[in-house]
Amino acid sequence: MTAQTDPLVPELARKLVDTLGLDLVPETVDPAAPLFGAGLGIDSIDLLELVVLIEKDYGVKIDNRAAGVEAFASLNALAAFIRQRRPASPV
Amino acid sequence: MSARPPVYVTGMGVICAGANHVGELRDLLAHPVAHFHPPTVLPIKHPSGELPVAQAALIEAGEAAGLPRTHRLALMAAREAVGAGPLPDAIVLGSTTGGIAATESALEVGITSPEAFRCHGLDTVALHLAKAFGVRGPVITISTACSSAAVALSVAAALLRAGLAWRVLAGGADSLSRLTFHGFRQLQLVAANGCMPLDANRAGMTVGEGAGFLVLETAPDERPVLAVLAGTGLSCDAYHVTRPHPEGKGAVLAMRRALADAGLEPRAIGYVNLHGTGTPDNDAAEARAMKQVFSDAQPALSSTKGLTGHALAAAGGIEAVISILALRDGLLPANTGLETLDASLGISPVRAPTQAPLSAVLSNSFGFGGNNACVIFEKAPPSPSPHPSPRYAGREDPRATTGEVPPGSGLPALRIAASACLTARGGLDETWNALLSRESTAGLVPDAAFSKAAPATFVRRLKRLPRLMLALAQTVQTASGWTTPPETIAVGTAWGPLAETQEFLRKLFESGDQFSSPMDFIGSVHNAPAGQIALLLGSQAPNLTCSAGERSFSQALLCGSLHIASGAGSALVVAAEAFEPRLSPLFEPEVAGTPLVSDGGAAFFLVPDDGAPGARLRWLGEGGNDGAVALVDRLAGVIPHHDAVVVGIPAGHTLAKDPAYARLSQLLPPATIVTYRDQLGQHASVGATAAAIAVRAVAEGRLPFPDVPIALPHRRLLLLEFGPRLTAIEVFA
Repeated sequence: MTAQTDPLVPELARKLVDTLGLDLVPETVDPAAPLFGAGLGIDSIDLLELVVLIEKDYGVKIDNRAAGVEAFASLNALAAFIRQRRPASPV
Repeated sequence: MSARPPVYVTGMGVICAGANHVGELRDLLAHPVAHFHPPTVLPIKHPSGELPVAQAALIEAGEAAGLPRTHRLALMAAREAVGAGPLPDAIVLGSTTGGIAATESALEVGITSPEAFRCHGLDTVALHLAKAFGVRGPVITISTACSSAAVALSVAAALLRAGLAWRVLAGGADSLSRLTFHGFRQLQLVAANGCMPLDANRAGMTVGEGAGFLVLETAPDERPVLAVLAGTGLSCDAYHVTRPHPEGKGAVLAMRRALADAGLEPRAIGYVNLHGTGTPDNDAAEARAMKQVFSDAQPALSSTKGLTGHALAAAGGIEAVISILALRDGLLPANTGLETLDASLGISPVRAPTQAPLSAVLSNSFGFGGNNACVIFEKAPPSPSPHPSPRYAGREDPRATTGEVPPGSGLPALRIAASACLTARGGLDETWNALLSRESTAGLVPDAAFSKAAPATFVRRLKRLPRLMLALAQTVQTASGWTTPPETIAVGTAWGPLAETQEFLRKLFESGDQFSSPMDFIGSVHNAPAGQIALLLGSQAPNLTCSAGERSFSQALLCGSLHIASGAGSALVVAAEAFEPRLSPLFEPEVAGTPLVSDGGAAFFLVPDDGAPGARLRWLGEGGNDGAVALVDRLAGVIPHHDAVVVGIPAGHTLAKDPAYARLSQLLPPATIVTYRDQLGQHASVGATAAAIAVRAVAEGRLPFPDVPIALPHRRLLLLEFGPRLTAIEVFA
């Protein structure tokens, strides 16, 4: 990642908070922190919800455990994961 | 062995992928070849529709034409189980799908005629069976996801042992539906190449369908005995909404409870039919549980879901039939689908059908919400005792004198340690005061009345019904003064979590069957709120959800009472409905047509009658067909001891045509018959709210409706709910 914030990151933060009903302000989610097993209180069902969201909104599949580990390492990692695989990405 | 009456299996029927009756299932077990193909009964709009399923080859029965698929599967297997034998006087059916497959098709094309949704409710499956067999006693529907049928067998055994029925048809039925097919797919639990239980490369389940039923009785005299239902055990993981406890904690509890119930040591079990769905988590947790229960002396074991697929609520019924065939014929079924055993599991399944003499077998069924059930069958004795069961020893065969109506008075009254309700006015105090002021409490429960019951993080994914239920459960747990969680949780809901169902299907249809919400799928199962209650209260106790229209509350109370009668120290009984703007008017047009739509419900923390002061609640009976009039007649003797009869008459129910109401009117002066739904509103679980008001009324000595408060000198009220079948409970202080 560049030092500049990827615009996908705040977009994902907003979707994360909305979809999972988290009691958080999206801007306060640390883009470098792990999404799973850390302070957000996100569990495996939330991750499956995100898997569907990411396929629906960005056309990117996360259909195995290794991909999940990579994608959900952090918001930054998720944004990078989507950019690398997005079909006809309007970068 | 205990002195209680044995429960004999005298009939069985089955349908599943590859087998249309018991004989074909027996052949399939001997020559196991899985029948997994893409579905032909579900519309395929997306490549995911090519995933294999285990579809049954349903033979169209004339009487079932036009009914949803679950109903037809149920009728086919039930007809085989009953055969030409004597008819059952009670039904306990496990189902999660009901008429959802027909509902999906109608919703997708925008049909708005309620006629298209008449068979949506889970209750309609059992009601069709009740009609087919003229069943007079309780007709119960259990919905605990994939353990439904096994839980139904447990409830059936308890009914028989309590003397509340003579002959019970019990089992489960579920059809393929888009809700379950896409729901499990979105949870990444469906194997692309078919279910491979215990395999190192297992990748999930194969969604299936079917039905499996047993006829159970305590005093068989007309049909040969196939096996003995020796014991059952229920538990709840109280760990996670879908994932099993990693160490199989709940599964261990269920197996140990079933062994204790059967009076058997683990070494007596010769074969275990695993739940064995083929998902990585289930098989790992179940293997750990097996090692804890059976340690070094593992019995022969296998999962048959690689053969039949996972028929969800029907699985426990189909596998009960498989277990009985194994016992009868000394046949160990193979773990079909297994190629490379996952050595890390540390258990070793039967690889090919094997002959071995068996005297006792155990069958596991686990479900969403951590709902676990385990049943144990023993070989039939060479010649089962033809004399009446010990409960009736020394008495004339009660069937001769009562005309097949069981006594129904066998259940003890329970002390109410706490009660609560939710109405448009708020909680119990607000509701009571409104009624005293002659104000209606109809309407929807305001959010403020239930939104603060559980921590925000706990409820963030939950919609209206689970939140209502959690608030009710938390209120009575706190007010009861009990610091330990309830030893049984029994929930009633006619319609289940409708908002979740609606949202799941809306998203699915909008995306051309491509996407929906895994959360909404998990939340849509009828037992999801009960699982949430177990999580909130930390209760690993038996956890049951009953879904039978207006009778849902009565049946939850019955289940709670049966568990207390067999030793549980407490029971939490909750019943509630949540109005959903799109689906409720389609499913319940008469109710939605009332001036003010209503929802809410009530909860009770119940304990054995220990003599302490306070009100009591007692389940008195359920009757249908001519059993409803018989129930009124049976109550005729006790009615004079009640100050009033409080009756619930659902909108759309024609009293003029109800023979049970006609009989009640003959027995009683009109002033003592009090209706409550004009005051409390119309919804399927409002009978629970009426019971909570009745509890307050007997304590205070006055009933706040209908027009002028009625004095209650005897402090005793009889509550009757009318509808397709009649239920009766009493409240007294």
